[in-house]
Amino acid sequence: MRKFLRLALLGGVVAALAVLAAGCGSSSKKSSGSTTTTNANGTGGHGNSVVGTGTFDNGTTATKGGTYTVGWESSFGFTNNFDPTGEYLGNAWGLYSNLMLRSLIGYKHLPGAAGNLLIGDLATGVPTPTDAGLTYTYHLRSGIKFGPPVSRVVTSKDVKYAMDRLADPKDGGQYSFYYTVIKGWNAVADGKATTVSGISTPNDQTIVFHLTQKTGDFNRRMSMPATAPIPEEVAKCFEGKPGDYGRDVVSTGPYMIQGADAVKLPCSSLKPMSGYDGANGSHIILVRNPDYNQSTDQYRKNYINTFKFLVNSNADDIFAKVQAGQYDDEVSTPTPKTIRQYATSHSLRPRMIPNVGDRTNYLSMNLTQPPFDDIHVRKALNWITDKAALQKAWGGPIPGSIATHIVPPVLYNNGLAEYDPYATNGEQGDVAKAQAEMKQSKYDPGHTGKCTAKQCKGVLMIADTRSVDKTMVPILEADAAKIGITYTVRSINGAYPTIQTPSKNIPIAERPSWGKDFADPYTFFALLFDGNAIIKSGNTNYSLVGITPTIAKSVGVTGSVNNVPSVNSEIAACAGKLGQDRTNCWEQLDKKLMTQVVPWVPYLWPNNVFIIGPNVTHWNYDQFTDGPAYSLVSVKG
Amino acid sequence: MTSPSEVVTSGGAVALQPAVVSHKSPSRLFWERFAQDKAAVVGGVVVVLLILIAIFGGPLAASITGHPQNTPYENMTDAYGVPLGPNSQFWFGADSAGRDLFVRTMYGARTSLLVGIVASGLAVLIGLIVGLTAGFFGGIVDTTLSRSADVLLAVPQILIAVGIVAACSTTKEGCLGGLVQPGLTVVIAVITLFSWSYIARIVRGFTLSLREKEFVESARAAGAGNLRILRSEIFPNLVGPLIVYTTLLIPSNILFEAALSYLGLGIPDSQASWGSILSEVGTSGLYNVAWWLMVFPGGFLIITTLAFNLLGDGLRDAFDVRTDR
Repeated sequence: MRKFLRLALLGGVVAALAVLAAGCGSSSKKSSGSTTTTNANGTGGHGNSVVGTGTFDNGTTATKGGTYTVGWESSFGFTNNFDPTGEYLGNAWGLYSNLMLRSLIGYKHLPGAAGNLLIGDLATGVPTPTDAGLTYTYHLRSGIKFGPPVSRVVTSKDVKYAMDRLADPKDGGQYSFYYTVIKGWNAVADGKATTVSGISTPNDQTIVFHLTQKTGDFNRRMSMPATAPIPEEVAKCFEGKPGDYGRDVVSTGPYMIQGADAVKLPCSSLKPMSGYDGANGSHIILVRNPDYNQSTDQYRKNYINTFKFLVNSNADDIFAKVQAGQYDDEVSTPTPKTIRQYATSHSLRPRMIPNVGDRTNYLSMNLTQPPFDDIHVRKALNWITDKAALQKAWGGPIPGSIATHIVPPVLYNNGLAEYDPYATNGEQGDVAKAQAEMKQSKYDPGHTGKCTAKQCKGVLMIADTRSVDKTMVPILEADAAKIGITYTVRSINGAYPTIQTPSKNIPIAERPSWGKDFADPYTFFALLFDGNAIIKSGNTNYSLVGITPTIAKSVGVTGSVNNVPSVNSEIAACAGKLGQDRTNCWEQLDKKLMTQVVPWVPYLWPNNVFIIGPNVTHWNYDQFTDGPAYSLVSVKG
Repeated sequence: MTSPSEVVTSGGAVALQPAVVSHKSPSRLFWERFAQDKAAVVGGVVVVLLILIAIFGGPLAASITGHPQNTPYENMTDAYGVPLGPNSQFWFGADSAGRDLFVRTMYGARTSLLVGIVASGLAVLIGLIVGLTAGFFGGIVDTTLSRSADVLLAVPQILIAVGIVAACSTTKEGCLGGLVQPGLTVVIAVITLFSWSYIARIVRGFTLSLREKEFVESARAAGAGNLRILRSEIFPNLVGPLIVYTTLLIPSNILFEAALSYLGLGIPDSQASWGSILSEVGTSGLYNVAWWLMVFPGGFLIITTLAFNLLGDGLRDAFDVRTDR
């Protein structure tokens, strides 16, 4: 009997698999048949992105009220526990800029170019620099108050306090490098002073910044959340404890952390606000700030009563709940499966909103490591890469358009939109052009068109372990093999720390992606290509453009460190320019990098694709934060 | 054991005649018992087939289909990058990179079985040495070795595996001066590290019992040394149980490899394994639109595990004469 049962079990398993296969087979035909005939981009062209207006409007009038619930995948992932002084996560900026903090300069929270235009938020307007571009004076709007537990008028000294805090490394500032152009900044950073001498507050309504060099994007830098006013009476409770203020952020915007009105000063009595349970927690709940004055704010409409941001580890569950109306929005990344589901459904399609993400995905090649220390190899890899296949790996044209150079055109006011120095038919790569380039390389001594040197065999590639990485790697391996390069792929869950360590001497990385901090190409070039910015860990110049033998020695780089091309002088020159001159300057630098330095294979300008629930009546994209404009969304009453 | 048969004579008297005694060797007895267990035989046949698939399946599949295991076929993903299902050219459909899943599943058999068999073999070898030593010598040796095994059993395996794999995966050379290479060797090393202690405990238990047996006492009285007693008296009595536990350990280790690969910690993607194919289903969320990614590698995984378990059960029954059949 026992034997019979075991045989029956074996047979049963096989039979069950057969039935499952047969049953599922019929449903597959249906789904694959419907999608293969669908042109996702609607134009038939390779690489065209599918970006609409970045808005959703169900035709009704937006009304006040309701709760807006957002599913947040995996964890909040904050870099500084939601303390704005050190918080570098874009999703946190979406909450700050729309709902909680008012910096001197702000935005209209709109999609596209309009969303990148500067406005005075805490300041009455956007100042023009004086003193040959070295002085910026801001006048504060009256009637703006801190929310509970402070509930007092914001003054210029609160902005100065926030800047002093940002300058002091012990308070966790993560992008204070943008402000080293302010006189006296480095003295605070070095511990030689406690306050930045180049910032003065002649009265409660005025703050003046004195710079050491012309900085054409300084107003944009003053739109960053870390520059928003901070009340010293609360933040001093957390001096020297980076991140702790994140649980007690005091609002100047329309919403505050739930429970802000229940905490009490002084420091000895101050407890975390109940609406946020920490970076590893499960929720952020924001409610209306009773001290906010709508008349001081032209651009935030604040329809929603309560925002709930809920961590959910299951992406599928998030999208299921969005579709069911249990969530209204998501902080996640729709997979190709979800994109197909929405793209092919007439009723669901309007609730999938792709938006230009001001971001570039790219392969970074290390200019000091063979075979990428030879520009011909780098160019050959640009020619051979099948960008159309990589785009498909991300889900096709909806998740992004094919990148043809460094900075997305939207940051050049759509300049260089047609620039494509490695254009190939259908962006599928060109073997002939790639091999012609490879023939000029020292690693192809026989001029065969393939890299025959041993340096091209088993080249270390660092990849990540996301689903899309696993899809991309075989494509990249197949492409490289056409020009004689083979990879040894190391897939690391969270690849950035490895590729951000120059002493690892990683020849090529599959993972890199870079997005703007604010709408100026400086936030690409200065951080990604300035040789002087190369550091031992957390380095973002992965290609090591501009590295010198001295820097190489200090950061532990071994390889071809002599005569690495540099664009340091070009970056410095462009950074001081204003207006169209500035834009033109960055465009020329982009071209130089793509043709004379060639540190990357840019392959995708990703869109930020958002999927919203059936209760949402109005939604639009915020170009500055690259996320939902929470201050303008509304739901059914 | 044979018994005399009774023969009735013409006079009604019953005479006892000596029965014909068949002299069956232990191995013949074993095979007879094993052959009666049809499930075990089926399990054994399936295991043999799987081994053949592991050796020849991948290259053969690639040759028949003309699809190398790592070549992406763009026409096997739709406009949204979702892989397409089985058709006349791609019998098992494609994975999300557009690679032929039939070919990769066949190659996956090689990886999965290699990991299962090699890691189990190493674990058995280490476990045998440790268990024999601990059980035979006792005292402080037993305490030290047994507690070490206990400590290992208490370690969170996946966490340690994550650490080892991560530490060895950031450079081309691997870690420990290149001794542990990322990929197959790391996975085998990790699995071996966490498998041998089970075998050691089992072997120790058997050895503790065996060392008190009369034949061991006799050998000792005859002047045999410890090494000889271990080699000639105790070890032969452990072979049966070891074979059984090895066959049961192999599927367990195949599943361990699948778990590591599912977490993205196992074999590099270019070297297909059933676990890594299954992991794609989980990380990409394709399970409800690309069933083939789950059914084929998952089916082979189930069949392999079941076949080894049936074989192991049968071997155990065949070795153990007390088993009620």
